[in-house]
Amino acid sequence: MSAKVDEFTVVGKAVKRIEGDRKVTGAMRYVDDLSLPGMLSGRLVTSIYAHAEIVSIDASAALQVPGVIAVYTGKDVHPSGPEPDNRTGHMLARDKVIYYGQAVAVVLGVNEAAAAEGAALVEVEYRQLPAVVDPLEAMKPDAPVIRKKANAGVWADGADHGAVVAGDDIDISRLPDNITNAVRFTRGDIEAGFAEADAIVERTYTTHWVHQSYIETHGSLAAPDALGNLTIYTTTQGQFGARNGTAGVLGIPQNKIKLVGMEVGGGFGGKGIMLEPLAGWCALRHNAPVKIIMTRSEELSMGNPAPGSVIDIKIGAKADGTITAIQSRMVFDSGCYPGTPVGIAAMMAGGYYKTPNLSLLGYEVLTNKPGNGAYRAPGAPQATFAIEQAVDELAGKLGIDPVAFRLHNCSVEGDPQPTGAPWPRIGLKEILETIKEHPLWKNRHEHGKAVGVAIGGWPGGVEPCAANIRVNTDGSMLLTLGSTDITGTNTVMAMIAAEVFGMPLEKVKVQTGDTDTAPYAGFSGGSKVTYTVGPAVQRAAEDARQQVMAIAASELEASPDDLEIVDGVCRVKGAPDREISIAAIAQKSMTFGGKYEPVYGIGKSAVTDRAPGFSGQIAAVSVDEDTGQVKIEQYVTVQDVGRQLNPAMVEGQVIGGTAQAIGWGLWESMHYADDGQLITSTLMDYNVPKSEQIPPIETVILEIPAPAGPFGAKGIGEPPIIPGAAAIANAVAAATGKRVTAMPLTAERVSNALHNGQG
Amino acid sequence: MAHKVSMTVNGVTRESEVEPRTLLVHHIREGLGLTGTHIGCDTSQCGACTIIMNGKAVKSCTVLAVQADGADIMTIEGLAKDGQLHPIQEGFWEEHGLQCGFCTPGMIMSAYDLLQRNASPSEAEIRHAIDGNLCRCTGYQHIVKSIQWAANKMASAPAGDD
Repeated sequence: MSAKVDEFTVVGKAVKRIEGDRKVTGAMRYVDDLSLPGMLSGRLVTSIYAHAEIVSIDASAALQVPGVIAVYTGKDVHPSGPEPDNRTGHMLARDKVIYYGQAVAVVLGVNEAAAAEGAALVEVEYRQLPAVVDPLEAMKPDAPVIRKKANAGVWADGADHGAVVAGDDIDISRLPDNITNAVRFTRGDIEAGFAEADAIVERTYTTHWVHQSYIETHGSLAAPDALGNLTIYTTTQGQFGARNGTAGVLGIPQNKIKLVGMEVGGGFGGKGIMLEPLAGWCALRHNAPVKIIMTRSEELSMGNPAPGSVIDIKIGAKADGTITAIQSRMVFDSGCYPGTPVGIAAMMAGGYYKTPNLSLLGYEVLTNKPGNGAYRAPGAPQATFAIEQAVDELAGKLGIDPVAFRLHNCSVEGDPQPTGAPWPRIGLKEILETIKEHPLWKNRHEHGKAVGVAIGGWPGGVEPCAANIRVNTDGSMLLTLGSTDITGTNTVMAMIAAEVFGMPLEKVKVQTGDTDTAPYAGFSGGSKVTYTVGPAVQRAAEDARQQVMAIAASELEASPDDLEIVDGVCRVKGAPDREISIAAIAQKSMTFGGKYEPVYGIGKSAVTDRAPGFSGQIAAVSVDEDTGQVKIEQYVTVQDVGRQLNPAMVEGQVIGGTAQAIGWGLWESMHYADDGQLITSTLMDYNVPKSEQIPPIETVILEIPAPAGPFGAKGIGEPPIIPGAAAIANAVAAATGKRVTAMPLTAERVSNALHNGQG
Repeated sequence: MAHKVSMTVNGVTRESEVEPRTLLVHHIREGLGLTGTHIGCDTSQCGACTIIMNGKAVKSCTVLAVQADGADIMTIEGLAKDGQLHPIQEGFWEEHGLQCGFCTPGMIMSAYDLLQRNASPSEAEIRHAIDGNLCRCTGYQHIVKSIQWAANKMASAPAGDD
């Protein structure tokens, strides 16, 4: 049983972010803010076709531009062997381009203006090839082939987010070349399950590519150092992964690269490794610092957006509302490199509800689009858009209240997931009970608004990590982590260290060390930083505290069990005059001729028990019958967070994630023309929600503690993006009686549903 | 051909030579070394580069440096006075109006512009005023609260020269 928040001095308080002053004064440094002596700027030359052979590249005009130093192409960076088949390794296209916006050359200049001018003058001759954009077309045996079958079954971005997937093996070698992964989960007898059903819903749902749209674009600055090693300053959520990936691509040992993770100007899963290898290659080639920053258009066209999907769902239930069978075929559009979260999608679509009969089949298909990337709860929003609409419609067919229907069927602890593994303790049922009683839902017949509900979950990520703590001779503390601070995680780690050690928060400094000095931590994603780095920090603080206590016990000639730490002082309980300050203890452990080892706390964790997080959302909408425009009238997000370590930051995460869900639901999609050209290549065309578009969001936070989480906390970042689009679609159905099965629910789609029958 | 320009930036006269094509945001960041003004897009949508020019919020990517010759400019670095945060800065920190922080300087500049014109804006007025500044992290709600916090603070203790 976890202690109550009231018992804590720091944990559970809405403290301000430790780095906030630097952010409000403009003092925070992002990678593009750095400049080094002799630094060169790189600018990319990008493809105007989605699929084409590169016939020739003429850089002569570019090289005439004053200040242009060099132009490199795929032949320079990939001189031999097959063209790389993964995004990390594929620095520049060499023989053919496989998506619109792919980099084919990099121009180095003494400044950005020179490089940009040079890039505009590089002449690339292409021989256009047929492009395949629709994943259903790309699955066909006669479709244009992105790449002959290789590298199947890579789970790069799903793995980053720490999801657990398994299932039956499917031999994909006999399937068409563009199918690079397939998963299957089965349980019971699916046909018998449908035979038992009194009502069945069967539909196809479509979701489109969505960009993470962090406001800071990707960028890296690579610089050779005095020892001939490479230092890379970059914007990444996972500095060790970015270092290892770069070392692998450049063929140099990992300890020859020091990667310095700069403040990340938004990531949402999308910032792993991108320009680091190319910047590193250029820096080594010129023995000079090289900075490459993506333009927004490059970010939209060659960044790594979330994949689109086509999801068939068939679901049946008995008249009493008991689900008898769930069947789905999910096709995830991988873009030009393998690695989609289709397995996670299947686990969510088949895992929220109990069913004796289950048949899930997922395919990942290559198309002429950029490689897809992780974006907040990868795969879950897509799956949830489908299953949560289907469930809603099925409840309607049976004449059962949709929340009651969900409560009747929802998975609880011990129920099997599609993998067969039992769900651990989850908050799904409590979320539904909260929604049931919320006035926006409960009183919907009285207030007359069109209200929709949906739920969604995330399996939770885990990864081993470590942390260390030094206590300085003035009694202050330095906590060193390897995890990138996104969403304020370093603030939370400072709070945990202060709480466990008994140190005032203002005396705790937290740093994310570079990859040479930091203890290991994985990618800051998958809602796993607080959940897994938190316990490492707890242990480091306990370790440091024990060392301090041991020194104090020796100095005070007391048993460590009789000591306490109060206000930066170690004292004997009940004898306040027998005390020694933390500062004095640290001094005694770090002084010439001292007899105590320096206070140096180490904490490690390898949490393997996952703590899935769930969110439920209630959307009230109005729909303009003439235009199809959807307006959100009121919005509620209910989320189980395990334990709020910092309520203000939890609320910020939940609201921010919900806002992204609304963006997915109503406006956002990457639009590719039939030839693969990206239409939404600027923020004029791609609709990142603005302040007047996002409604006020009411949050209801539930706390069902996670046994392995620090103070019971579980991951909070992913869940709020998951059910939003489905909740909005269900609200639109409540308002109009029409189902819109494609996301986002633009005015055009809703209007089509209203006036032409189908959205 | 480089052009000589002179502008007052955060109270200091800065004389420089700029190319005709240089955008004001590039001049501020690279020429003057004030990197608190950020760049988030190529098309003047994101607002991360918002500054105060001659008393009004402008997106500094829409202005050529030569057009700012003679202008009075304030960037995020010029807002705090004598080591004291401006109430808007305090508000963003107190009310968690920031997460990744990348949009924050531009957002604060737009809020400054608003509160100069309208000391007690409604929520709708605040949302309208920052509609040209994109934030992907917060969903805007805590930003609105931050600006309300600042408006309240400025009303109860009017700042001297703001």
